[in-house]
Amino acid sequence: MNRRLVDRLIGEVLFAVALFAIAAVFFIIAFLLRDGYQIFMDAGVWNFIGGVQWNPAGEYPSFGAFPLIVGTILVMALAMVIAVPLSIGSAIYIAEIAAPGTRAVIKPAVELLAGIPSVVYGFFGLILLTDWIRIAFGQPSGSSWLAGSILLAIMSLPTITSVAEDAISAVPREFGEGSLALGASHWQTIRNVIVPGAFSGISAAIILGMGRAIGETMAVLMVTGNAAIIPEPLTNIFSPIRTLTGTLGIEMGEVAFGSLHYHALFGIAVILLFITLSVNGAAMLIIRRIQGTQGLQKPGPSGIQPGGFRRMRNLMNGIALKWPFTLLAGAGTAFLPLLLAPPVLVARLIDGITSICFVHQPLKWTFHPRSAQKWAFCLISLSVLIVLTILGVILSGIVVNGAGAISWEFLTQSPRNLGREGGIFPAIVGTLYLVGGALAIALPVGIATALYLIEYTADNALTRGIRTAVDLLNGMPSIVFGLFGFAFLVLFLNFGVSLIAGQITLGLMILPTIIRTTEEALRSIPASIREGSYAVGATKWQTVWHAVLPPAMPGIMTGAILSIGRAAGETAPIMFTAAVFSSRFLPSSLSEPVMALPYHLFILTTNVPGATDQQFGTALVLLMLVLSIYLAAILVRWRYQWAKVF
Amino acid sequence: MNGVRFPAKRAVARGAFAGILVLFLLAAGCIGNEGSAAASRHIAVTGSTTVLPIAESEREAFEAKFSDADIKISGGGSSVGIKAVGEGTADIGMSSRDLKPEEVALYPDIVRHEIARDAIILIVNQQNPVDHLTLDQIRGIFNGTYANWNQVGGSDLPIVVVGRDSASGTREYFWESVMKKGNFTSRQEEFNSNGGIQQKVSRTPGAIGYVGLGYTSGVKALHLQVDGTSVEPTLETIRDGRYPLSRPLFLLTKGQPGGLAKEYIDFILSDEGQEIVARAEYIPLPS
Repeated sequence: MNRRLVDRLIGEVLFAVALFAIAAVFFIIAFLLRDGYQIFMDAGVWNFIGGVQWNPAGEYPSFGAFPLIVGTILVMALAMVIAVPLSIGSAIYIAEIAAPGTRAVIKPAVELLAGIPSVVYGFFGLILLTDWIRIAFGQPSGSSWLAGSILLAIMSLPTITSVAEDAISAVPREFGEGSLALGASHWQTIRNVIVPGAFSGISAAIILGMGRAIGETMAVLMVTGNAAIIPEPLTNIFSPIRTLTGTLGIEMGEVAFGSLHYHALFGIAVILLFITLSVNGAAMLIIRRIQGTQGLQKPGPSGIQPGGFRRMRNLMNGIALKWPFTLLAGAGTAFLPLLLAPPVLVARLIDGITSICFVHQPLKWTFHPRSAQKWAFCLISLSVLIVLTILGVILSGIVVNGAGAISWEFLTQSPRNLGREGGIFPAIVGTLYLVGGALAIALPVGIATALYLIEYTADNALTRGIRTAVDLLNGMPSIVFGLFGFAFLVLFLNFGVSLIAGQITLGLMILPTIIRTTEEALRSIPASIREGSYAVGATKWQTVWHAVLPPAMPGIMTGAILSIGRAAGETAPIMFTAAVFSSRFLPSSLSEPVMALPYHLFILTTNVPGATDQQFGTALVLLMLVLSIYLAAILVRWRYQWAKVF
Repeated sequence: MNGVRFPAKRAVARGAFAGILVLFLLAAGCIGNEGSAAASRHIAVTGSTTVLPIAESEREAFEAKFSDADIKISGGGSSVGIKAVGEGTADIGMSSRDLKPEEVALYPDIVRHEIARDAIILIVNQQNPVDHLTLDQIRGIFNGTYANWNQVGGSDLPIVVVGRDSASGTREYFWESVMKKGNFTSRQEEFNSNGGIQQKVSRTPGAIGYVGLGYTSGVKALHLQVDGTSVEPTLETIRDGRYPLSRPLFLLTKGQPGGLAKEYIDFILSDEGQEIVARAEYIPLPS
């Protein structure tokens, strides 16, 4: 009796916690709208979105977001032009061509690129890339659309490569073997059988990369020059350009509260949210179509059956699970009907382009199959080489220049003279505090939500709603979290710029990752384990606690580690909520602000002249911290043969 | 995916996981227990990053004098400072601009204390042969009338206009006093800090930007042509008003300050405090 009561109680608690994700999403959107709607009222919806002049500080202020929207799209589009060939090439190489040994090295190397914090990319771009563009192309200024796109391309490479590689690997072996048996060459098989078989997954990969590129703030803000103009002509890639995220990043800190400019920035955040959610919605739609008309299936571990299309579908479900955007399903439509139209369009477009390239073959090969294969493999290997070179250049540049700055003093002292002397000890500790607090908030909530979704309920409208909310949270740009934290925690709740505000903001940001990875870990536990536990008389909770959670631990751990990495490297969510310029002491309560490594690097790079050594030193420490966390995740996965969770 | 699992490994993983968790929870939880220096008086100062270097240097000297004083200084921007002091979350706010009408309406009892002045210096790349400009020429450059340095007596080189973000107090001052409230060229590249502009100008041969007095290393500070004479921006010329571009910096309190806040502000306004202002490369108040 008592046991059963406890069991029910725990179920109810988990249910209540699971609703948190939905509440959080509504809350964030509501709060942005609350502060943003006034600009749409005052300036008019069309004037705000379609206006071509962004001049909030003029004698007659004008708030036209159109150049910013165009800027965002242009930077993203060129980034995709650069990143897509490289990452699809790398994906094909890793999945199809590489020997197992090579694969074991290259795959984690590409994934490591994902772990480099965006402020480090921005730092790298500001120091090297913009100068290189200015000199190499003889331009007056290197801060440009091109610089932003190159950085974003590098940043979205790992996402696209990982997901595309998943999709390619998931094409059933029989397909390739059948093609080879018919006498096709390896390249013909890849080109005509394997890639077309995976093309929906590849489309989804590209769209996920687009989502990452649109939401990125710090790196873009540091290299694009931030002039709110539409390039003239539209192909002038050396023109400075300004994105929606960049506008939020540079103007939010100094804007007067309650002014029209303040509301305009929240209006910008609403537009940004709308665009990113649309793009991520498109990814969801595409992957959902792969699942066909089956709708949502909760794949049991015994679900895999041999043979043909049935098996392929199950495998596709496997990919879908890794990217639960997929599970957005019908509930997403009900949630925000407005979001539907753009994603369908984007999905169609990407689908069309992919299928023209791979399926309809507009250009017939005129080479001999063997030389075609040689050329193709050459190009594919080249793309991998380029990716690895990029990784090498960034890492070695920072290590070589940063190693000199690292000393015992640098690691253990407080900064003096605005960071030009002394060390970064408070920033290291501050980062740990922030990440620790975020994890303490997100881990219990995330695990409870996942437990509820997987163990306590079947697939129904409510769970779809919760999953939709989780996916929406996951798709939100980090600067939007920062803005929410600022508007709600710092101002509305009057926490002030404080440790706790930063921890909650970061906690919200990493929550979806934790839920998703935990869900995946729980799903991988065979039903027989649960059945065995019930058979010996255990209650639901006893089963979950003693039989299901322990074997799922490595998976949950991977999720937690990845979240730590992400939280430790993010600048945008903490720059308005928790971080300070300099502080001699460690915080003594949760209501005090802290120093943090990414913010310290951002400030040193953009605000403090004559601190080059400290810049590289801080970049190196931050890089080492985040990369070692990612490396830990990769090792854990390797050790347990855990599926990819990037 | 469901490979054979070994209980021993699982235990290790669980242990490691628990270990990491405990570590972070400790890190998050132990904050409340440390640094409880007994009998110390403390105030919180927050706001403009332009004023922050002054507040920081003053704090070091002030705390050396009064060992029981604990002044916590954070940045965030002028608006954060105004909001924080208005709402009472900070004792002192820092602002590099005057209050906007909206802010005065919200917080009518904020008192301003001018503690120093900040000059606006026009900077160009060190390779640029141009040494001095008139205010009209500067306005022409920043509103897009001139696009090449040879139009203002320099070499044939496109001008790269670099300015602050539109929420910046520095930009507002520049816009009022130099631009006469005219629009900036839309090609102006924008940065959200003095340091960002200085760095950009030092790396870009054709660039021109405006910064505070403390940000002129590695770049060339232009002399201003005023009434036919060329005025170099120095502490002296700025202080006596011959160099025309400078603006006040404020500390803000809610009502008249008392206790430690008053002592700290009084210290900054004292001779000793004003010397520190000068050392931090800002302009002391006229004595």
